[in-house]
Amino acid sequence: MIKQLEVAGVPVLLAPTTGPAHAGLAFRVGFADEPLAKRGITHLIEHLALHSVGVADYHYNGATGVEFTRFHMQGAEADVVTFLNGVCAALRDLPMRRLEVEKEVLAAESHGRSAAVAEPMSLWRYGARDYGTIAYPEWGLPAITEDDLRAWVARYFTRENAVLWVAGDEVPAGLELDLPPGARQPAPAPSSALPVTPACFAGDSGLVVWDAVVPRSPAAYVYADVLERMLFRELRQESGLSYTAQTDYQPVGRDRVTILAMADAMPEKSGAVLGGMVDVLATLRAGRVDPADVTAVVNKQVEALRLAEEVGARLPGQALGLLAGRPVQDAGEQIAALHTVTAAEVAEVAAEAWRTGLMMSPGRADWAGFALAPQTSERAVTGTEFRYLGDSTSRLMVGPEGVSVVEEENLATVRYDECVLVRAWPDGGRQLVGADGIVVRVEPTLLKGGPAAVGRIDAAIPPGLRVDEPARNPGQIPKPRAKAGPAGTASHSDKVAGIMGLILWWPVTLVFGGLGALLFLSLLTDTEDLAYTLSVAVLCALVTALGVVGIRRSHHRMRYGARPPKRR
Amino acid sequence: MSDTVLLDAAAAYPEVAAVRRALRARDWSAVRAVLDPASPVGRSILIRAAADGDSLEDFLRSVVSSDPDDTMAVAMLGMHLINVGWKIRSGYRAQYVSGGQFAAFHDWLRKAEIVLLDGVARRPSDPALWVARLTSARGLELGLSETRRRYQKLAAADPHHLPGQNQYLQRLCPKWSGSWELLHTWCRAEMLAAPPGAVQGVLVVDGHIEHWLELESGGPAYLRSRPVRQEIEEAAQRSVSHPDFGRDWGWVQAASSFAMAFSLIGDKAAAAAMFRMLGDLGTEIPWQYLGDGNAANQIRDYRRRAARHGKAA
Repeated sequence: MIKQLEVAGVPVLLAPTTGPAHAGLAFRVGFADEPLAKRGITHLIEHLALHSVGVADYHYNGATGVEFTRFHMQGAEADVVTFLNGVCAALRDLPMRRLEVEKEVLAAESHGRSAAVAEPMSLWRYGARDYGTIAYPEWGLPAITEDDLRAWVARYFTRENAVLWVAGDEVPAGLELDLPPGARQPAPAPSSALPVTPACFAGDSGLVVWDAVVPRSPAAYVYADVLERMLFRELRQESGLSYTAQTDYQPVGRDRVTILAMADAMPEKSGAVLGGMVDVLATLRAGRVDPADVTAVVNKQVEALRLAEEVGARLPGQALGLLAGRPVQDAGEQIAALHTVTAAEVAEVAAEAWRTGLMMSPGRADWAGFALAPQTSERAVTGTEFRYLGDSTSRLMVGPEGVSVVEEENLATVRYDECVLVRAWPDGGRQLVGADGIVVRVEPTLLKGGPAAVGRIDAAIPPGLRVDEPARNPGQIPKPRAKAGPAGTASHSDKVAGIMGLILWWPVTLVFGGLGALLFLSLLTDTEDLAYTLSVAVLCALVTALGVVGIRRSHHRMRYGARPPKRR
Repeated sequence: MSDTVLLDAAAAYPEVAAVRRALRARDWSAVRAVLDPASPVGRSILIRAAADGDSLEDFLRSVVSSDPDDTMAVAMLGMHLINVGWKIRSGYRAQYVSGGQFAAFHDWLRKAEIVLLDGVARRPSDPALWVARLTSARGLELGLSETRRRYQKLAAADPHHLPGQNQYLQRLCPKWSGSWELLHTWCRAEMLAAPPGAVQGVLVVDGHIEHWLELESGGPAYLRSRPVRQEIEEAAQRSVSHPDFGRDWGWVQAASSFAMAFSLIGDKAAAAAMFRMLGDLGTEIPWQYLGDGNAANQIRDYRRRAARHGKAA
């Protein structure tokens, strides 16, 4: 039984536990709230808040998630009080002297971390906004200032936007939870980068992943596990196509959930894994839900709930639900709701899930009715055209509305009013990210008139989007592609340089070649001054060889516009 | 000996005419009256033959929407959509088909896939759906692993299902990104898995005919080579020449393929036996692969030669 209390204006959920006492403080803020240009700010605050706790002996941690940030600890009552009071104090007065070090720590943390399967799904479904930002690195960090941090704390780390749960007999004495006042911040409304669903996009080999967004309900919860049982049977037990076949259920906002299914596949089997997964999804959509599966799943979920209730493990979920705007539910209510779920209700969820589905697979899924998700922009901006060095097929358009890269089979446009981030390097490199996830890279070293293009872009970028990056290694700055043979075309300056080279090297080669040949011939008849004649002849031969190289290079430059290809 | 050659499936199987008549009358219960008593293989053959008709899409869609669980209607609609697409693609090899034709072809196949996906979701045990899905998988080039998965589903629903085996055989050919090794191994394994006297011996012969057709030389040397000839003779012993070989669904196709193989090998006695079994009956495939592509002319010609040999002997 969960008791609802309040401490210093913060709602508190209290429930007894048979295991060790633990407590958690959560705020309704996460990655989904971060504009891409501030990506990483919540995680940074979490780190700064925990710094003051230092190297305490008790077991604690912090976690920044999609919608919630939590500080959790397990241990004696006094330690819980010290920990939570310490976190609240640190949030009120962040240790700003730690700012740069913690940014470094976060960079190191992200370096060691591997991408979750949900990330590409979020990127393609939502783009580079709200729920899509989880797919991006913490690109905002370099630009985050102390003022940014204070403003973020003032908005999100407030008592109205917090919840505390305590698994134990009572709320520990001495708990202050001294947080600034504020307002509850609802989760952001999910945006969409998909014009139609069901949709699909190409992913890495080795994985087939599908997800869908449906209303939150006990039937949706049951559906996720029924789907997992069926996928496991179909893809692993019956056909041996996959080793892993599983599903995941994640709440989104107050009343929606994402259901994700994934199966691994050998590259040569991924077509069959996709086919098998599509068949299972369609089977459930068509209403063929085995009541025995529903019963088995409900029994398993009820068992898990009972166990969770005993050790206070339901508390975090209920606390986060309260922050999301849902009423707290007893285990008994939840269990009763699960028992009422019918196969027909699960089938209804399956039909809705199919309609909102997004599929990632190495091969196309369009045959099964999934529309190809857009990968390129629909139109280019009008404006000034910048040509690429050594690439006659592509161009960069810079206009008053935005920037486009126009390539033979690709078009990427980022409009300034839809731009969410501009990464800027001291060498002039720019990376613009649009809300739809489309990226335009501008490298002045690759463009004719590159600095002018960058200047225009910099002048037009809306405030708050620019993140200045540290200088790149010279090796990381792109250079124009060396033309590998006749595919390239020479620019005007290349032609002039090439012709000048020919004018220089041809006479030199002919004169010294002829002279050398004459000298060598004279050696046959005239043996006087042998050493002198021989050395002059060798010198002439060397100059001639140099001339041949010069002619070759000049000729190549005149025709193809770059130096001859290096042989490795 | 008559000069008549009857290539239409209706000549061999009277149910074909009945099901076409019922379809022309847009009388679905009459269609079902023919399909219901047929064996699974018979039903697949009937559905395929009937789906060849013109302008059936609206009617079949209305039948499916009034009863989505009627997977015979689903299979016929799917097969019809595939046929429409294949007529646009034309039977030519890929290099002779235009980009626009391919796009339209694939559009029709995707329409079929969507219909069939819902069908198998409702009744995965209906082999006719898998036969259609194997056909569309080949046209859409869905890859070998997915096609094999579909074939395994078919085999689980009904092993030795000749109409689906014909589709899978095509998919295993190099022209559809398969290989001869895969093809011949599979054909022989399927023949041996079927009971003696079953039609599956035809898979071995068809595999070799496909292989022969692909060889540049065009001459009969490949089919006359000792190992190939032996395999074809073994296949005949297990099927068309076996005492248990009956007049079950698919028998005309089996006898027709063997007749052509024996004709090309030059075994006129064996060819004559096949032609006697067939009477006036024949099939377009594989005879249209020969000479001018007119199967009836080719059958007539080779039948006459085999008969002359019979008289001479």
